[in-house]
Amino acid sequence: MTAASTERPAAATAGGGAPGSRRRPAFRARHGLTILAFLAPAIVFVGWFTYYPMLRGANMAFRDWNLWDLTSTPFIGFDNFATILSDPVFPTVVRNSVLWVVGSLVPQLLIGFALALALRKRFRFRGVYQALVFFPWAVSGFLIGMLFRWMFNAEFGVVNDLLGKVGLIDAPIPWLADPTLAMVAVIVANIWYGVTFFAIMILAALQSVPEEMIEAASLDGAGKVRMLFSIIIPTISMTLLLTVLLRIIWIFNFPDIIYAMTGGGPANRTHIVTTWMINFTQQGNYGLASALGLCVVGFLLVFCAFYLMAIRKADQS
Amino acid sequence: MRHLRSAVAATAGLSMIALAACSGDSGDTGDSDGTVTLQMVESLTNPDRTTLIRGLLDDFEAENPGVEVELVSPPTEQADQTIQQMLQSGSGVDVLEVRDITVGPFANNGWLYDMSGDLESWDGWDALTDNARAVAEGDGESYFLPYGFYGLSLFYRTDLVDEAGFDGPPSSWEDLLEQASAIQDPSSNTYGYAFRGGQNANSNVVAAIEAYVIDGLDTENAFLMEDGSTIFAAPEAQDALETYFALFEEASPPSAVSWGYPEMVEGFNNGSTAFLLQDPEVIATIQGSDTLSEDQWGTAPLLVGPTGRAAQPLAVAGWGVTEFSEHQEEAVALVQFLASEGPGTEFAQANSLVPPIASASDDPFYSEGPWTSYVTMTENPDTYVNVTQPRDVSWWTEWIQKSDQEIQSVLLGEMTHEELLTSWDEFWTEKYAAE
Repeated sequence: MTAASTERPAAATAGGGAPGSRRRPAFRARHGLTILAFLAPAIVFVGWFTYYPMLRGANMAFRDWNLWDLTSTPFIGFDNFATILSDPVFPTVVRNSVLWVVGSLVPQLLIGFALALALRKRFRFRGVYQALVFFPWAVSGFLIGMLFRWMFNAEFGVVNDLLGKVGLIDAPIPWLADPTLAMVAVIVANIWYGVTFFAIMILAALQSVPEEMIEAASLDGAGKVRMLFSIIIPTISMTLLLTVLLRIIWIFNFPDIIYAMTGGGPANRTHIVTTWMINFTQQGNYGLASALGLCVVGFLLVFCAFYLMAIRKADQS
Repeated sequence: MRHLRSAVAATAGLSMIALAACSGDSGDTGDSDGTVTLQMVESLTNPDRTTLIRGLLDDFEAENPGVEVELVSPPTEQADQTIQQMLQSGSGVDVLEVRDITVGPFANNGWLYDMSGDLESWDGWDALTDNARAVAEGDGESYFLPYGFYGLSLFYRTDLVDEAGFDGPPSSWEDLLEQASAIQDPSSNTYGYAFRGGQNANSNVVAAIEAYVIDGLDTENAFLMEDGSTIFAAPEAQDALETYFALFEEASPPSAVSWGYPEMVEGFNNGSTAFLLQDPEVIATIQGSDTLSEDQWGTAPLLVGPTGRAAQPLAVAGWGVTEFSEHQEEAVALVQFLASEGPGTEFAQANSLVPPIASASDDPFYSEGPWTSYVTMTENPDTYVNVTQPRDVSWWTEWIQKSDQEIQSVLLGEMTHEELLTSWDEFWTEKYAAE
């Protein structure tokens, strides 16, 4: 063994000989500072633009903080939280939020999966077709909401017009005026909007499914359904689970479509947590809005922790 | 170490730049050549309006060498919040659009400059209408100069009214119910009244109530009676609601529960509804209609109550100056320019507003066609009484949201008229008591 080769382990391992353990702290300090220096701009930006506003917002949650009257913003403890939890609209908002997430997510996943499988195969003009499918994701959610608001308009909207022309209805359906139908309408709009994201993510994940495995399964006589559940889904399961998690968070925090289509009405029946929060900000009551925001953050943190633990457990088993 | 020093230096430099950028200090808006740059922000943004304002600003710049104006035009939906954030940061705005619903809170927070001292010597003061001067004088502080007023009038279909056998448009709420019910024919997609059940539904309900209680109404605060009680506690308010909500039951499409401004205007514009209660800004939209010809529609004065009188709740907006502006002299000059006779009339006409300029009423633009109903109302102030609603209170938006939501509850049959009035009466009584 040469002198050089005997020195390498000492310098590279923490539990090495005396020379190595003496040099390591110096190495860490110098390079650590350099790394920190390079990271500092990002830390400053993230701290300034993300965490500082979050802390300011969290502070407002414990104050009587109304933008229309900032002459006094006293500390009021948990009063804002109590106001929100005791509001008669709160149970409706929670129920709607769950319905909004589940009702949007499941169809988005299924249709997005189907689209991704269809787009995986090579066919003529596949690129154009892909671009058309992915296009909605590039459009503002608020704009989508405005478009669907007119589409679902009872008297002038295309939905009732088409349903009438094919003979399914005799009289216009007041989609956005009926509490139940209004929720259906906003969910339909969100499904249309969000399918694209699942299609993009799943299509990307499908590229990781080995072709030879599909071919081998095919030669062994496996049908398409068997291949889907025994090869494709298990291979991309981690991507699917993380995409679902992301979408749950995003849909939960996505007020644009509802706000543009119904404004949370009629009579609060389509309010979800985030549209309700916008109502408070429009009142200038940032105290209530921030308290509600903190509740949302807390809920999503707990939910994500349980979800990720469940994924890990399933992965290990 | 050389790399480390470079990295630290670069980081420090970038951080300084970032922090300097974030500090938002607009103090240095004067260029080295002495040019003063004013930042002006509008809130009711639309492309045509922005183009018009830009043209007026160009005229101002031409008249005032050395002063430049940068116009900030946030999208309407986000404008109020954007302006609030700019004001809260204490920089970045010299001149801003101020509305009757924002002047109170903005002034309360110390964000608006009191121009009363500057207006004493302003030669454009005498050109303003009485209403405009009253708004500009405020309660002793002049926080904005109005660019126009929004007042309700009744848009109606002349042909449908004729076909239904009526001599002319309705003059009272009861007449409206009668005519709209007679015209209603859902089978041919024709509806009597463009009922407002969605956003800002409260405005028309309150207009109806005020017409019914006008004889005892406090015109300085049109949510209160002269005895200090709220208008919602008055017995006549119940009658007003009976008539008003009958319009929904008998003369409107069921989907009007969710109708806001766009649906109402579209309903009238495409020929589906016979009556529409709206601000004059709709005139320009209807004049551009592809469906309605000029002789198919007109406007009538605001509907009166049982005693033959109506309360006209004029909404108003204008231009003001920020307290923290470092160029207040130039900013005030700009506001005065925009409120002066020429630019003020041009702006009001282009945006279909009731003008703040006295001489504008002589203009054929206002004395002919759809504007005649406004002239009628102006010439009969005892019948069409100008009233002030408490739109500057800090809880106004909370009121809007609450009242709109509860109106939808009534329309859905989940709340009675009595419960609605009781809820509103309690809301205003408690708010005033807590002041």
